[in-house]
Amino acid sequence: MNPKPATQVCVACSIFRNEIERLQAEAKLDLPVRFLGSMLHMVPEKLEKRLQEVVEEERAKGHEIVLAYGDCCPNMTGIGSAEGVDRTQGFNCPEILLGGETYRKMRREGVFFLLPEWTLMWRKVFQGTLGLQGGTAQDFMKEMHTRLVYLDTELEPVPEKELAEISEYCGLPVERMKVSLEPLLASLMKAATRVPHE
Amino acid sequence: MSRDWSGELVSCIRGADRVAANAILTDWAETRTYEEAVTHLLTPALEHFGKLWADKGGETSLAQGYVAAKVAEDLIGRVLAAREAEGRTVETKLGPVVVGNVEEDYHPLGRKMLVAFLRSAGWEVHDLGVDVPPEVFLDKVQEVDARVVGASAMMFSTAKNVVGIRQEIERRGLTGRVQLAVGGAVFKLRPELVQEFGGDGTAPSALHAPALFEELWQRSLSLDSVTK
Repeated sequence: MNPKPATQVCVACSIFRNEIERLQAEAKLDLPVRFLGSMLHMVPEKLEKRLQEVVEEERAKGHEIVLAYGDCCPNMTGIGSAEGVDRTQGFNCPEILLGGETYRKMRREGVFFLLPEWTLMWRKVFQGTLGLQGGTAQDFMKEMHTRLVYLDTELEPVPEKELAEISEYCGLPVERMKVSLEPLLASLMKAATRVPHE
Repeated sequence: MSRDWSGELVSCIRGADRVAANAILTDWAETRTYEEAVTHLLTPALEHFGKLWADKGGETSLAQGYVAAKVAEDLIGRVLAAREAEGRTVETKLGPVVVGNVEEDYHPLGRKMLVAFLRSAGWEVHDLGVDVPPEVFLDKVQEVDARVVGASAMMFSTAKNVVGIRQEIERRGLTGRVQLAVGGAVFKLRPELVQEFGGDGTAPSALHAPALFEELWQRSLSLDSVTK
């Protein structure tokens, strides 16, 4: 399905790279996509600055912009509702992949979500950026969460070795959950058709 | 040369090393009491770390903030245990106050830190957890006769739900008497949202919350006396 015009471009978090590229390869999504690194999420001010720059660049080319992001920086709502811009709905990437109802139910149960890209670089995220080491990591994760759930979009083999490492590191059980790309596609299409045209 | 206890404690917090921090508290209390440690060791250490946190937020990690809260919690636990062992009444001096994450917000860390620092400062805190609807906040406020509500939200999408708490305060005729403190990453980065969403105040970090709650408590008392 082609939401519309060649004048639209999607700016997406690289956490969705494989999934969006699959949707493009299957001709379900006919939008050019610019990916920004997912580690920007760890410093929301930097993400906001970079997003604003990219949005301005694309606007200068006369493009409308579909943002594939959650509410990941302080002014995401402002950026995502500006003229010629719209955003996938959802608090964060797990909600965009799962849909609101499933996400909220699992979050209430205390689930911590693992997405494929971050699972592969878990040490960088947990130990590097968050600074969680040794017993503190287990104390923290067990206090905040009840279990880990890996969202398997079935585009890459499940990284069992890393999942076992994360589970041991956090002291929490890990489950695997197969996830369809349909909610992501629906969210992208909805945003693409909603972009307020100038 | 005398030992720099507070400096050592700050180093442990910055190293996110809870075990080492607790060892320092144990060493310190060999010749003093845990109650004295709150004033003479924990408070200056947290003030120092709080300044780093407020000034250089991007250079302090989630783990450091978490460990700071846990060290405060651990020390308060020791103080309470010591009082009970001596047969002394365990009582809080300030409050009560009610805190929780706003409806649809599932990020407990900031709220848990808030609770730890409020309790370490002597506040009686009723913690409602995550995803708390406005009416639940206000039911608890009226049940325990609290004058301050602390609402935590991490993102803009959920921070908007602070408006519902403000409306519920007004609907129940508690405007002025019940003060609404708001906190969380989005309010730190966009302070204009405090007023926009109906908050009465915020603090640069959970460590600074006791001072904010004291200010709001006093404001509630003064507004309450005006209306009586």
